[in-house]
Amino acid sequence: MGELQQNLTQYCFSETSRMLLQHREMQFGAITFFAKEHKGETCGSNGLPLTPNSIIIFGRAQLLKTIKHPYLCEYLDIIRGKHERTIVVSQYCGEPLSHYLAKNELSIEDIKRIAHQILLGLNELHDRNIVHRNLSTDNVLLQENKDVKLFNYGLFYMTDHGKLVSFPILKTLYAAPEVYLDGLNNLSNSKADMWSLGIILTELVLDKPLWNTLKLSQCIRKILSLMHGTTSIFERIIREHNCYEKYQLLPPDLKQLIEDCLNILPKNRPTTKQLLERDIFKEFQNGKTNSKNKIYQTFDTFTLKELYYWWQLAGGDVFLELKKQGLIRSSPPVLSLPNMILIEGAVLGQERNPATLYEPRIVQMPLDTLYQRFAHIPLSSYYPLIHSKSEIIEKFEPPSYDASDLPLVIREKDPEYQFHRTILFRRLLHGYPFTRNRIIKEAQVDIPPLLRGEIWAALLNIANNYEKEYVEIDKQTSTITDRQIEVDIPRCHQYNELLSSGVGHQKLKRILKAWICKNSQYVYWQGLDSLTAPFLYLNFNNEAKAFACLSAFIPKYLHNFFLKDNSVIIQEYLAKFSQLIAFHDPVLANHLQNINFVPELFAIPWFLTMFSHVFPLHKIFHLWDKLLLGDSSFPLHVGLSILTQLRDTLLNSGFNECILLFSDLPEVDIEQCVCQSLETYNSTPKSITSRSHQNAENASELHITGITVQELNREKCSRISANDVVNLVRNFPHKIVIIDIRNPLQFSRCCVKGSVNIPCSSVTFGDANLDSFGVHSGLLKNAQNKIIIIVGTEETDLELFPKFLLQCNIPKVCVLHGGFNVLLPITPTVLITQNQI
Amino acid sequence: MANRTSTAQRPNGATQGRICQFKLVLLGESAVGKSSLVLRFVKGQFHEYQESTIGAAFLTQTVCLDDTTVKFEIWDTAGQERYHSLAPMYYRGAQAAIVVYDITNQDTFGRAKTWVKELQRQANPNIVIALAGNKQDLANKRMVEYEEAQAYADENGLLFMETSAKTAMNVNDIFLAIAKKLPKNEQTTGPGGSGQGRRLVEGDTGAKTAGNCCK
Repeated sequence: MGELQQNLTQYCFSETSRMLLQHREMQFGAITFFAKEHKGETCGSNGLPLTPNSIIIFGRAQLLKTIKHPYLCEYLDIIRGKHERTIVVSQYCGEPLSHYLAKNELSIEDIKRIAHQILLGLNELHDRNIVHRNLSTDNVLLQENKDVKLFNYGLFYMTDHGKLVSFPILKTLYAAPEVYLDGLNNLSNSKADMWSLGIILTELVLDKPLWNTLKLSQCIRKILSLMHGTTSIFERIIREHNCYEKYQLLPPDLKQLIEDCLNILPKNRPTTKQLLERDIFKEFQNGKTNSKNKIYQTFDTFTLKELYYWWQLAGGDVFLELKKQGLIRSSPPVLSLPNMILIEGAVLGQERNPATLYEPRIVQMPLDTLYQRFAHIPLSSYYPLIHSKSEIIEKFEPPSYDASDLPLVIREKDPEYQFHRTILFRRLLHGYPFTRNRIIKEAQVDIPPLLRGEIWAALLNIANNYEKEYVEIDKQTSTITDRQIEVDIPRCHQYNELLSSGVGHQKLKRILKAWICKNSQYVYWQGLDSLTAPFLYLNFNNEAKAFACLSAFIPKYLHNFFLKDNSVIIQEYLAKFSQLIAFHDPVLANHLQNINFVPELFAIPWFLTMFSHVFPLHKIFHLWDKLLLGDSSFPLHVGLSILTQLRDTLLNSGFNECILLFSDLPEVDIEQCVCQSLETYNSTPKSITSRSHQNAENASELHITGITVQELNREKCSRISANDVVNLVRNFPHKIVIIDIRNPLQFSRCCVKGSVNIPCSSVTFGDANLDSFGVHSGLLKNAQNKIIIIVGTEETDLELFPKFLLQCNIPKVCVLHGGFNVLLPITPTVLITQNQI
Repeated sequence: MANRTSTAQRPNGATQGRICQFKLVLLGESAVGKSSLVLRFVKGQFHEYQESTIGAAFLTQTVCLDDTTVKFEIWDTAGQERYHSLAPMYYRGAQAAIVVYDITNQDTFGRAKTWVKELQRQANPNIVIALAGNKQDLANKRMVEYEEAQAYADENGLLFMETSAKTAMNVNDIFLAIAKKLPKNEQTTGPGGSGQGRRLVEGDTGAKTAGNCCK
């Protein structure tokens, strides 16, 4: 009985999850077209190659992805193919209105509802200054519940009013007369859509397609002929189609609406807003206000974008589907050769590839593979528990898909793993900022690429008023920095489609200008562009958020790096870097020192840009995923791990070879780099890397002060704070060796628990040989990765001794800052006195 | 850095020749094409979207000149004015410098003049300075006249060429011209080239000389 019930529950569960996944509106399709190719000149005025039109389209189309509206199909993706091909993926569900014509299926009431919803959809577009221009019964999709979704409304916008493609964007019968009269590249305003709406409604009320027997040219003539005469156009169309009885039966308000839309003069056509206020739509307005009264907004368990992402991971390939359906055909290149090319580049006698014309077909993407792949996922996985106080509940929670042993790159490609991660993070992000701690915890595991932008913003603690702040900043006034920004942007991560698009350039410029304007104490240093690029890429449609992330990132990791005079800050940073190398890898440190290969020569672009200038974006993402979880010392460990990866080459190279190696940084395995950085980051006492110039806010443990850069550069081994030493003595005595270099008398009077006395005077600092330590040499040889803390006083030489150990290639040597005496006042004490010995 | 021991490699074909090593620095306003010139000279490549240089980059290239092999150690510096404070670190001890400007931008020519002045005042007194008017491929958008730059170069005893990293025009030539002008023995004369303290040694039997890197 119990088993049966369990089976039944499971069945219901999987049925519901199936419904979630296979929701009718969770479907998408793709269209494809070619962008116009540049003819003749290939270089712009700045000498750089002209941006391909497909890239411009790619950049412009990003905005469309942000539009979410119940009556508009959601844009999902823009893909660039060869030869300026552009593929647009968007939600595609329901049946085109054209399929319903001449079937006597739609009542007047239905038509009113459709009109209302089209108007709401258009209104959303017109509010964003987007003109559909292509509205027809083919791209108004009717859902099962008779709701409407407009499709392909962004084509005119993304192609910059049709300028970037070589075909006209219009549907012959539905295009307003002024569209033909003004030429095809005109800046049609939103009134053109009102005309198209009028035609659509006419077809609906007549329940037949208009002039469906006419040829293209006759059709255009017909539309233009409507301009003559003064009587109602609607009425004339009706008469031409012999449907006067139907016309007479129409409710007057609907008749008036169509009449107004089909006005020859665009300025006399009503706007969407005016129409929506009419009494005819009063009955539909109640539902709308209701949803706004809700106390909190419900959220989707997952979004269509996520479904599309999982589909791709599960093997879905838009390009392949289009090929299968014959929308993409490859023809032998020899067929596209022109007959003649003039020396100026003009091409003659080339047959126009028919594929460059507009192709109205839409290919629905099959989702079966994804459904199969996800079929076994129980409903509870769609609603993971975030907070549970009861152990029983926690145990009931089925273990989510376990992939923790797999390498990161594999996990990122695993659809099921990404499913669980996205669902979980989506929930946590809805609870931000209250769930921040949990977000941090989960981010330590990994960050799902799809939500990286939002997760980073949460890790950087972005407050929710960031938009207002960004809007208020002056991003326009020209400044002396403009020239520099302008020459840097076209060189910043230009292999990336988003960042090389025109829209990308404009956005990057605005963010940089905003940052300079907001932070008057700082200036623009080359490299700030690279630093901004990852944030812009991840928040391409949310400049304000990209700016907020940058603004939070810099104080945390690059405090004062962008001061006009940043030399002290950078010098301190690099000195600390040298010390860290010595701390973990004395052999390498000694070699680099011997060949005079100082960090100043290669590491400035690393740290000034947090590696964003030296790595491509996909590597920066993985690096920063972990960086954002660490403090400002983490980058030093990253630097160290890069050197470690190149260690063998470096050790076998002289100065020239070393520096050549870094001029063209060889392939660095970023996952390995991240792992090793974490390892040294966790095993290094914090004070080893503490800097006097780090941001005071996150430097509460700072106990080392008052060291000049000159001193830092002289000291080859780092200092360690009393705080850290006390902590180590108390909690990890097995991990340290404390060497007291004071004279035996002082030592016998009072010393640190477990410390060894090697008086400075007892050692002869000759050759770098551990035997100089006599009886203690064994201790040092066997220290094996223990931290060696040198304790002395002001009188003892605190430089010579550690330096000598370093020369002997002893790792993890550090010096107690402030000497023995700083330990005296600490309670409970870590010292023992003579009596106790 | 100047007196480090470096291994002079003998490039293919230069069997009996003397090997001479010179430090060369590139200076100039940002985005005039310094890195592109070096990339063209060293690797024969050209990137339209050459990334900006932060701090400096280092590359080497060897050219053969009669019986002498000249190895250039090239320091390619960041162009932004703010990185100015780093520049002395790179031009200190340099035997040659290429000051680059963009022929389509008058301001960059002005900036080149300032660099020349600074070098004349603060760099090695014998430094060989070449002026390169880059982006010659954009001559139809020219803002700096050839004659103007030539006159300035003559006045100041600079080598001068208009170059194009994109088409490779005059790129090797300007480096070769510098190599020719660099004093390879103490008899060499000419503006800024008295060859003081510079020694040239046969093959690998290099005697180290403090303060220069000719070996």
